[in-house]
Amino acid sequence: MTVRVMVVDDHPMWRDGVARDLDEAGYEVVAAVGEGGQAVRVAAAARPDVVVLDLQLPDLSGVEVIRGLLAAHPPVRVLMLSASGEQQDVLDAVKAGATGYLLKSAAREEFLDAVRRTADGDAVFTPGLAGLVLGEYRRLATAAQPADDAPRLTDRETEVLRLVAKGLSYKQIAERLVVSHRTVQNHVQNTLGKLQLHNRVELVRYAIERGLDTDS
Amino acid sequence: MDHDGCGGRYSDPVLDPKGARNSESPEEPLWRALAVFRLAALGYASLLVALNFRHYEHPAIGWFVTGVMATWSVVTITGYARPRLRAWPLLGADLAVTAACVVVSPWVLGPSGLSRGFATLPAAWIAGPVLAWAISGGRRRGAAAAVLLTICDQGLRGRITPNSLDGNVLMLLAGIAVGHVTRLAVRAQEALQRATELEAANRERERLARGIHDSVLQVLALVQRRGTEIGGDAAELGRLAGEQEAALRSLIGTASGHPASGDPSSGDRHRPVDLRPLLAAHATATVSLATPAHPVPLPAHAASEMAAAVGAALANVRQHCGPDARAWVLVESEDGVIGGGTVTVSVRDDGPGIPAGRLDEAAAAGRLGVAQSIRGRVRDLGGTVTITSAPGQGTEVELTIPYRSLS
Repeated sequence: MTVRVMVVDDHPMWRDGVARDLDEAGYEVVAAVGEGGQAVRVAAAARPDVVVLDLQLPDLSGVEVIRGLLAAHPPVRVLMLSASGEQQDVLDAVKAGATGYLLKSAAREEFLDAVRRTADGDAVFTPGLAGLVLGEYRRLATAAQPADDAPRLTDRETEVLRLVAKGLSYKQIAERLVVSHRTVQNHVQNTLGKLQLHNRVELVRYAIERGLDTDS
Repeated sequence: MDHDGCGGRYSDPVLDPKGARNSESPEEPLWRALAVFRLAALGYASLLVALNFRHYEHPAIGWFVTGVMATWSVVTITGYARPRLRAWPLLGADLAVTAACVVVSPWVLGPSGLSRGFATLPAAWIAGPVLAWAISGGRRRGAAAAVLLTICDQGLRGRITPNSLDGNVLMLLAGIAVGHVTRLAVRAQEALQRATELEAANRERERLARGIHDSVLQVLALVQRRGTEIGGDAAELGRLAGEQEAALRSLIGTASGHPASGDPSSGDRHRPVDLRPLLAAHATATVSLATPAHPVPLPAHAASEMAAAVGAALANVRQHCGPDARAWVLVESEDGVIGGGTVTVSVRDDGPGIPAGRLDEAAAAGRLGVAQSIRGRVRDLGGTVTITSAPGQGTEVELTIPYRSLS
């Protein structure tokens, strides 16, 4: 079964280039749009497996687009591409549910590999993203009250994330820690999963505090 | 990037310079206070007339003058309420009418009245134009009005009595003080407005810069990618584009708008600065930088020493592994149990690594030149340096320094 991909990027030259690369590599490009709102509207009908999303769109923020996409088509996986790598934007997007991040300067092979891994359900981390996620866990641990349920990394997860942030490949990490490649992948994925879950819990708690849940 | 789509943010009510201009000028409350003062002073003057008119030489004229004062109070209150009318015609007429009321006073009161120590008919009401002049033109104008009225008042009494002069001195002081305060308030308001406009302009510039940076980065990334695929001369172009892309990205990725960021070379060496922008200067196409999304504050001198140590470590990588060697820099900050914590910066390369034992050997032989300068800097900050090497996975230098909570 071919992987269905939607490309969201407001830069036409880039959008076409990415769509062509994906097409040549055997992916089915089901939609290529230039605006976040349009992407959210199209997603329900186009049912992409993977959305390749530029984080800087003219109409909506990355977080808004990701929330909209996940609401319109829950099984979708979001791979973010960004040119500038604005750190808070990237972190917010990951917390909102994106499972992969790549700089736009990544080589074509690297990009196609990232799409494949995203479609397989893996988390695609750059060293930069690993640093952001590590920092976020430490921030949450510092800000938390003792009784709070801030998410925490296991020692092994911290170790794996640090190695990713220092540029080691999953294969090198597996060798160094003497575990399987799959185990490394699971650790990385767990770090993301806990952060996203915590984010959803926080949103719900916020909504209840503000009485938003009583609105129908 | 569609720049037209984001113009709306300029109408932010807090920052809109037009909004600041429309808001009340600092003179307004003073003009309103003057209106209240005039009515109160009029009431006091009327009371004096009502209590004393039997002793006047011309009581009817006394009541007439009181009527003129009442009418004039209404005229000036409505007149000064309009900013357009706060000019010489009204200011001059104000002073003239008030002076006329003062001038006729001795005649109305008669010699017996004045000598019995009655005040002039308008009493405190004569301060009205003094305050109006002061509010409209500052302390000199206020003082001038006070002096003119004092001349009218004292000149017509024939002789100067300390009692009556007291009132005039107070009037002079009031004119100067109110004029001074008005100027100060106006200047403060202007400064605030300039600052507000500047901030709005800066925000706008920052917003435009983000959009432009993003577009430029897109194009550079595209050139790099396609260039590398085409090969030959295009690959060289692609490589150059990639270097510029990394330089620009590291510049804007961390540098914008964080309160703890700043130039470490200026000011107090204990002032906290964000370590991240300092390290961002080292990020290139071959050097990747991973940091938290929030600022990593260190005292200014510690931050710049740390950045210099990282620079030395990266120079070491280039020296031993060649200019094309890749390197990764990871910044972590960890809070301790009580107030303090540690900041750790790791620098890893993907070179051949150092065989076991070689490190100690080299250190013993004093051949760790650059590494020693790293150790020196970090030791001065009370920190530690760990160098580890795994075969086939490069060399890693870990710099850890303690810090006391800066909050």
